[in-house]
Amino acid sequence: MDKQIYIIVVEDELEVMDALVGDLEFIESVFPVETANNTEEAKEIMQQIEEAGNQVGLILCDHVLPGKNGVDLLIELQSHPTIKMSKKVLVTGQAGLEDTVQAINKAGLDYYVAKPWQKEELQQVVVNQLTDFIIQQKLNPLPYMTVLDATRLAEVLRNNTLTDN
Amino acid sequence: MLNDRKVILRFIQRAIRESKELQEHVVSFKKGDIIFNQGESLHYLYLLLKGKAKLNHTRTDGSSLDLLKLVPGHFVGLLSFTTGNPSLTSCIVQADVQALRIEQNEFEQYVNDNPRLRHPLQQLMMSNMADRFLKNLELESEMSALNKKLEKEREDLKEAYEQLEESYQKIVHQEKMATLGELVAGFAHEVNNPAAALIRSAEALKENFKDLSISEPLAVMFKNGLEAGPISSSEVRTRMLEVQKRFPYVEDRAATRKLAQMPEEALAVVDSNRKKIPVTQLLQQFEAGKLIHNIQLASARIANLVKSLKSYSRQDNNQADMIDVRTGIKDTVLVLTNRLKFLDVNLELNEVPETCARMGELNQVWTNILVNACDALPDGGKITIKTWNNKKSIFVKISDNGPGIPVDILDRIFEPNYTTKNQGAKFGLGLGLAISNQVIGKLGGTIEAKNNEVKGATFIISIPITKC
Repeated sequence: MDKQIYIIVVEDELEVMDALVGDLEFIESVFPVETANNTEEAKEIMQQIEEAGNQVGLILCDHVLPGKNGVDLLIELQSHPTIKMSKKVLVTGQAGLEDTVQAINKAGLDYYVAKPWQKEELQQVVVNQLTDFIIQQKLNPLPYMTVLDATRLAEVLRNNTLTDN
Repeated sequence: MLNDRKVILRFIQRAIRESKELQEHVVSFKKGDIIFNQGESLHYLYLLLKGKAKLNHTRTDGSSLDLLKLVPGHFVGLLSFTTGNPSLTSCIVQADVQALRIEQNEFEQYVNDNPRLRHPLQQLMMSNMADRFLKNLELESEMSALNKKLEKEREDLKEAYEQLEESYQKIVHQEKMATLGELVAGFAHEVNNPAAALIRSAEALKENFKDLSISEPLAVMFKNGLEAGPISSSEVRTRMLEVQKRFPYVEDRAATRKLAQMPEEALAVVDSNRKKIPVTQLLQQFEAGKLIHNIQLASARIANLVKSLKSYSRQDNNQADMIDVRTGIKDTVLVLTNRLKFLDVNLELNEVPETCARMGELNQVWTNILVNACDALPDGGKITIKTWNNKKSIFVKISDNGPGIPVDILDRIFEPNYTTKNQGAKFGLGLGLAISNQVIGKLGGTIEAKNNEVKGATFIISIPITKC
């Protein structure tokens, strides 16, 4: 695999972070998970990932965070040339209507997961969003078929082969 | 002499006695008679010689108004007689009347025929006019006095209305708080049971799991998991790099992350046992301990919050009790965790004696001041709460390092409805500090707001030490 696609989790409560990361283990063999307790840390990590030639595929972000809040972070990322391509999911119990509208309109929010979340729901969201990401980025689907939506990826593969001919 | 009506009247009466012709013009009216009605055109002018009458005006709304009391020497129908317009008044006899009736078109004639009457009659008319003018002045000044009184009453009414509105708002607010208190107390009670169940189950699960850890290394892993506690994400990252070097045989990233969260004792167990026990199994044991620890932490947090909510919203808050104000302050801070968690809250709660007060009401005071401080510190800051006492009073000082209170409103912030927040905002009635002021005032204490020399605002509350 030439380049790694990362999942970033931004959450300030350490126990909650533990639980989130635990639910992402199923996919970590393919998509490494990185964690941040606040938005500044999150930006730093994403910068490092980009500099190492890797890519951020999915951001799971809490809303109420120390300093800048989650929606603000997502909006800010929209101005980044490559990170803005990543899939953005709010995982929160506390974003009000106005914040959520902002997130959708200004940050291109892809999904909203309400706390407390269900493991299956969260995993399904992660699979769907990352599948979308692979397809939209026109990445070779083969390495991801074991953990992502194989049916959709296979279809892409078939079409690619057809057009290549 | 203009006002010497009686002298002139006597002169005229003498003239009447001496003149048969004049005597024929003297008429009598009984008490209750109406000499003329409002709106009539008058053909006669009367000069009252004896008795009493009054002029009465009926207004368009039907109410009637006594305008002038007529006594001997007064003319009756003077205005209508001189202008020729219908009478503006009715004339009602109040005591049997004798009057000299003068026919309109004969008036000049009388005066010409009786030249010695001309002067007294003219004088009498002048005197009558003067009387009415004086009466007019009196009425004017009476009216202006009445107007002033009316104006004052209107002001009083306005003030009373404002006070009413203010107390209405206060009642609404108190009612809102009371309802909220009931809701919170009910909610806290309901959440308490599942929280207790969680705590007990986690405890039981821990015991169960200990018995399941058949071998010594697994037991050590479990114990370490229980005690480890979470680590910040940046520390996890640094330690992941170390772990990767130390455990090159662990390729799985999730496993590496778990190792990164382990204390040295657990890492040593993994290292020495990896040939005998699969690494995943060792990790799982650690993880189980950590999960149970997390459940315990989280459920303890719920239980703590619930306890504070219950005591904060005190159902018995109408009962004054011997209380420690610090308990209420701690509860309030915990209940406001959501607002305060990104602020640096510094508690210097020195021991203070108990005093007789209503905990619930005092909590409202702390809440109002703390919420205001939070609003003043949207980008974070520091809040210090300090308690101390002297022989007579307990003091609570709450200060922040926000922008402070604008000087021009500093002396108005305890007034009701004085709010710098938009109407309908979260706490929105603008009554917070007014109610705080009232609560403290009722206890015989004081509440004072000032700006710090450097930055921010300080509230100092004093509460007298009393026994219930």
